[in-house]
Amino acid sequence: MLYRTAGQFKISYKADHALFPVRQDAYLLGFVLLLAFVVFPLTASEFTFRALLIPVLIYSLAALGLNILTGYAGQLSLGTGAFMGVGAYACYKLLTIFPEMNIVIAIAMSGFFSAAVGVLFGLPSLRIKGFYLAIATLAAQFFLVWLFQKWAWLYNYNASGAIQVPNIDMFGITVAGPRATAMTQYYFVLGVVSVITLFAINITRGRIGRMWKAVRDMDIAAELVGINLMRAKLTAFFVSSYIVGVSGALFVFLWRGAAEANLFDIPLSFRVLFIAIIGGLGSILGNYLGAILIVALPVIVSTVPATFGIPIDSAMVEHLNVMIVGALIITFLIVEPHGLARFWAVIREKLILWPFPH
Amino acid sequence: MKTWMKAAATASAMAAGVVFAAPALAQDGSIYIPNLSYRTGPFAATGTPLMNGQRDYITLLNERDGGLNGAKLVYDECETGYNTEKGVECYEKTKANAVVTQPWSTGITLQVLPKSNVDEIPILAPGYGFSAMADGKVFQWAYNPPSSYWDGASMILNHISDNDLSSLSGKKIALLHLDHPYGKEPIPLFEKLAGEHGFTFLPIPVGLTEMQNQAAQWLQIRRERPDYVIMWGWGAMNAGALTEAAKTKYPMDQFLGIWWSGHDGDLKLIGDQGKGYRSISWSVPNSESSLMQDIKTHVVDAGKSQINQAEGEFDSVFYQRGIMISVILVEGIRAAQEEFDTQTPNAEQVRWGLENIKLDEARLKELGAEGMLVPFSTSCADHTGHGGGWMLEWDGSKFVKVSDIIQPDRSAIEPLEEEKAKEYAEANAPWPVNEECEM
Amino acid sequence: MELLNAIFVKPFADMAAAPDFLLQVLWEGLVGGVLYALIALGFVLIYKSSRIFNFAQGIMVVFAALTLVGLYEMGVPALLALPLTLGVMLLLAISIERVVLRPLVNQPDIILFMATIGITLFLIGLGEIIFGGENKVMITEQLGIPTGSILFEPFGGFVSIEEKDLTAVIGAGILVASLLVFLNKSKIGRAIRALGDDHQAALSVGISLSTIWVIVWFIAGVIALATGIVWGARAGVSFALEVIAYKALPVLMLGGLESVMGAIIGGLAIGILEKLFEIYWGQPLLGGNTEAWFAYVLALMVLLFRPQGLFGERIIERV
Repeated sequence: MLYRTAGQFKISYKADHALFPVRQDAYLLGFVLLLAFVVFPLTASEFTFRALLIPVLIYSLAALGLNILTGYAGQLSLGTGAFMGVGAYACYKLLTIFPEMNIVIAIAMSGFFSAAVGVLFGLPSLRIKGFYLAIATLAAQFFLVWLFQKWAWLYNYNASGAIQVPNIDMFGITVAGPRATAMTQYYFVLGVVSVITLFAINITRGRIGRMWKAVRDMDIAAELVGINLMRAKLTAFFVSSYIVGVSGALFVFLWRGAAEANLFDIPLSFRVLFIAIIGGLGSILGNYLGAILIVALPVIVSTVPATFGIPIDSAMVEHLNVMIVGALIITFLIVEPHGLARFWAVIREKLILWPFPH
Repeated sequence: MKTWMKAAATASAMAAGVVFAAPALAQDGSIYIPNLSYRTGPFAATGTPLMNGQRDYITLLNERDGGLNGAKLVYDECETGYNTEKGVECYEKTKANAVVTQPWSTGITLQVLPKSNVDEIPILAPGYGFSAMADGKVFQWAYNPPSSYWDGASMILNHISDNDLSSLSGKKIALLHLDHPYGKEPIPLFEKLAGEHGFTFLPIPVGLTEMQNQAAQWLQIRRERPDYVIMWGWGAMNAGALTEAAKTKYPMDQFLGIWWSGHDGDLKLIGDQGKGYRSISWSVPNSESSLMQDIKTHVVDAGKSQINQAEGEFDSVFYQRGIMISVILVEGIRAAQEEFDTQTPNAEQVRWGLENIKLDEARLKELGAEGMLVPFSTSCADHTGHGGGWMLEWDGSKFVKVSDIIQPDRSAIEPLEEEKAKEYAEANAPWPVNEECEM
Repeated sequence: MELLNAIFVKPFADMAAAPDFLLQVLWEGLVGGVLYALIALGFVLIYKSSRIFNFAQGIMVVFAALTLVGLYEMGVPALLALPLTLGVMLLLAISIERVVLRPLVNQPDIILFMATIGITLFLIGLGEIIFGGENKVMITEQLGIPTGSILFEPFGGFVSIEEKDLTAVIGAGILVASLLVFLNKSKIGRAIRALGDDHQAALSVGISLSTIWVIVWFIAGVIALATGIVWGARAGVSFALEVIAYKALPVLMLGGLESVMGAIIGGLAIGILEKLFEIYWGQPLLGGNTEAWFAYVLALMVLLFRPQGLFGERIIERV
C-alpha cells in the first residue's frame, strides 16, 4: 500500500537507471532531508547537536570513505583514524599558513593531502591481500600517529603538542572555533556531508564503481576481463582517503575544536570500521544507520538511567556501555552479517508487498 | 520480524524522547557539581582514588552539615575514561546546570578552555591543565590552584639543587614523560631553565602504548646516565617506570616525580625497592586529622564510600588529595555564597568565588585539615595561588613528608606564563581579556 | 655526510664501545620478543584451525591474568587459583564457541574478525565490572617464580638479568616445545592441523568442528594466561596490557598467519630488532618511541617481497 510500485512504468533505460526508480524512495529521502534540514535544527538542544547530530554526520562521512575502500573495492583498511588525522593536520596547517583562506576551500584541499598519503600506503595493496593488507594498513596507522606527535611543525611547535581551532568566519558568520554556534556548525557539516554523499552515490553507480566491485569480487578475474588493477585499487584508495580526510578536518574543525595526536589512534579506526560493517559493507545508506547506532546509542544508553532516576554510577554505565556495544556487534553480525542496510532492504521489500503475502 | 520491528520502533521513540528532552537535573536549592571522572581505562588506577576522595568530601558535607550553608550539593560523575572525545561529550552533557567544570585531564582541559569564555562556566583544574592558566587576566574562567606544573617543575629543581640552580650546571636531568599534552606541559620551562643555568635537559617520551613496557626508555637512561630523572607519569606509566627503575638499579634518591606520580598503589608494586623515591605534592595525607575522622564516621563507616578499605586506600595520598580538591572547590562556592548572599550561586558567581579563595592556615585548621594542603589564596590576576608544595618520600610502605613547603622560582616562571598566555589569546582571537584586573 | 655518519657509522661504533650495554639491549629485546611470540602463537593456533583472525587474544591475556590475581585476592591459594583460572578460560572458550562462533560458521573472514573485536569489547566491560580498573600486582612470588636478579660483569660493565624474565624465557620455551609435540604427535593435534588444511575434508572424516574449536580456544587461553603472568610480573596487571595485542600483529605478518615456527622466529626477530633500532637509531635520530611502528614497517617491507610472510603458506589463486 504505502510502497506500491505498481503503475510506475519505465519506458526507457535512462528512467530505469535513475537515482530513484521507485517514487516512494524519493519521497522518503525528501522526508529524511526535511527532518535533517528543518525539523532537527528547530527542536534540538545544544547537547543534541554536539553529542549526537554533528558526530553522527561526521562519523557517517568517515565510514562512507572507508566503505568505498572496503565495501566497494574490497581492500580492508584499519588505518582510517590516521587518514582522518592527515586531513585534520593538513587543514590546520593550511589555515595557519594562509589565515585568509576560506574554510570550505581549506577543508576541500586538505582531503587531497590525505588522498596522497592514502595512495602511498595503498601501493602495497598491489602485492598484499586480505588480512596481510589489513595489518599493513596498521603500519600507516601507527607510523602516522607517531609522526603527528614527533613532527612539531605540524602543530606549530605548540608546547602541549595539541592543535587548537581558532575562530574562523565565513561570510561574516563564525563557523568554527569556540564562538561558533552549534546550529551553524551543524548546517555546515550537513552541507558538506550531503554534497559528498551525492558524489559517492554517483561514483559508485558509475563505471568506476563497477570497476571497484569487479576487483572486490575477484581481482584476478577482473584483471582478465581487462580492468587495470593498479588503477582500480589506487583510485579506490584515493577517493576513500579523500573523503576520510575531509571527515577528519570536519571532525576537528567543526566538532572537537582541539585535537592531539592520540585522538587519531587505533580506537578511532575501529570505531569507523564498526560503523561501516554494522551499517553494511557496500552500501551508502548503511553508513548513516551504522553511525546512528554506534555513535548515538552509547550517548542514549548513558542518559537513560538518569532520566528514569535509576541510581547507577557513571563508571558502571560506561562499563555496561562497552559491554553492550560489544554484544551488539556480535548480535548484529549473527542476525544480519550484511548490516543494517540489508535490514532496511528487507523491510522495504515487505512494504512493497504489504498487505499481500506474496 | 514484526515483533522485532515493533520493539525497535518503541525503543527508538523512547530514545528520541530521552535525547530531545532537556536534562532535568537541577533541583531547587541545590548546587550541581559535575565531575568528568575516569574510573575506567588504562588510567583508572590513578583516577579512581582521586574521584573517591572528591566524592566523599561532598558526601560528608551533605551528611554532616546538610549541604553547604543549607544548599544541597549534587555531585555527579560523567565517565570519560581519560578520553578527550568522551570528555567533550560529558562537558556538553553537564554544562546546562553546572556551576563548575572539572575536566580532569590536560587534554580535555585544552578542549574545554576555549569554550569557557563563551559558555561562561569556570574550569577548575587543581594541579593540572595548562600552566599559563595562572594568568587570570587572560584566562578569566580557568583555575588551577594551588600549584601549576611549571611551579612543580621549579620546586623539584629547587629541591634537588638546595635552592641554588647554578649548582646544577654541567649536570644532566632527564624528564621521563607521558607523550600526551599533560607530559609535555613542563618542557618549555625545563628548556628555559636549562639554558639559563647550564644543565643538560633530556626529554624521554613514553607513548601511550608503551606505558607498561618501558625497557627502551630505561635503556636510554642507563646509557645517558642522567644525574636526575624527573617523572611526569600517569596511570599505568607510573608503575611501569618504577618497576623498570628498580630493575635498572637506577638510584631511587635521584628519581623524583610530579604530584601525579606519587601514588601509593604504584609504589606498593615495588615496595622496599622504591625506598628513597620522592614526589612533590601540594597535599599530605593525615588520617588522624579531624576532617578525615569525620569522613571516616559519616561516610566510610556509614557505607557511603566506594573506597577499597582492604587496600588501605583511606590513608593514601591520592584519596586524601581528592578530598582536598573538593575542599578547594567548596571554598570557592562558599565564597560566592557569602559575597552574593545567595544559597545557590550561579556559574558566574562561582567564578568570582574561585577568584577569592583564601585557604590560609587558620582556615584549614577550621576545616580540620591543618597541614594537609598548602595554604594559598587566589586573586583575579592569579588563578593558581602558587602555594608551593612539600616533598614526599616513599619509605618502603608509605609516603612521608621530608621537607618544609618548597616555593617555586616565580621570577623565572612569570615571563613564560605571560608569553604563553598572550600566544594563546592571539591564536584564539577574538579572546576577551579582563583589563579591569590589577596585577 | 654527518647524517650518513649518524646512520651508518656511529650506531655500530656505539655498540662496539659498550658491549655490555649491547648485551643488555639484546636481552631486553629477547624477553620482549618471547612475549610477542607467545601472543602471536595464540593468534596462529586459532587462525590455523578456523581461519579466524582472533583480535581478542590481547584481552584474553588481561582477562586470564586478572582472573588469577582476582581469585588470589578473594583468598584462594595461589596454586589453586592457577587451575581455577584455567577452568575459567575453558568456560570462556566454550561460551565463545557456543554463542559467537557456531552461528557464524561459514561467514566471510572479515565478519569473524569483527566478531572477535566484539568479544574484546564485551570482555573489557565485563572485566572492569568484575575486577575494577586499578593496577594489580601479579602474584609472582606466590606462584614460586624467583624475583631476584642475576648480575653479569662482562667487558668491564654489567648486564643485569631478572630471574623472572629468565623464568619467562625458559617457561615459554617449554610451553612452545610441548605445544609443538602436542600438535605433531597427538590425535587432537593432528585433527587441528587437518582442520587448518581443509574444513570440508576434515569434517568428512569425522572430526568435530565445535570440539576442536573449543580445544583451540582453550589452548589460546592457556597461552594467554602464561603471557599474562609473565607480562604482569613485569609491570602489574591492568587493562593497559590490552595494547600488547597490537605488538603481535606485525609478528604474524612477518612470520605468516599459519606458521607456528613463523610466530616464534618472527616474535624473537621483531623483539630484538625493534629494541636495537630504538636504542641506536630511533632515540638519537628520530626522537624515540619508534617501537610503536618499527615492527609494522619492517613487516611491510618483508611482505612486499614475500606477500605470505616468511613462513606462511604460498597463496595460490585460481579463477
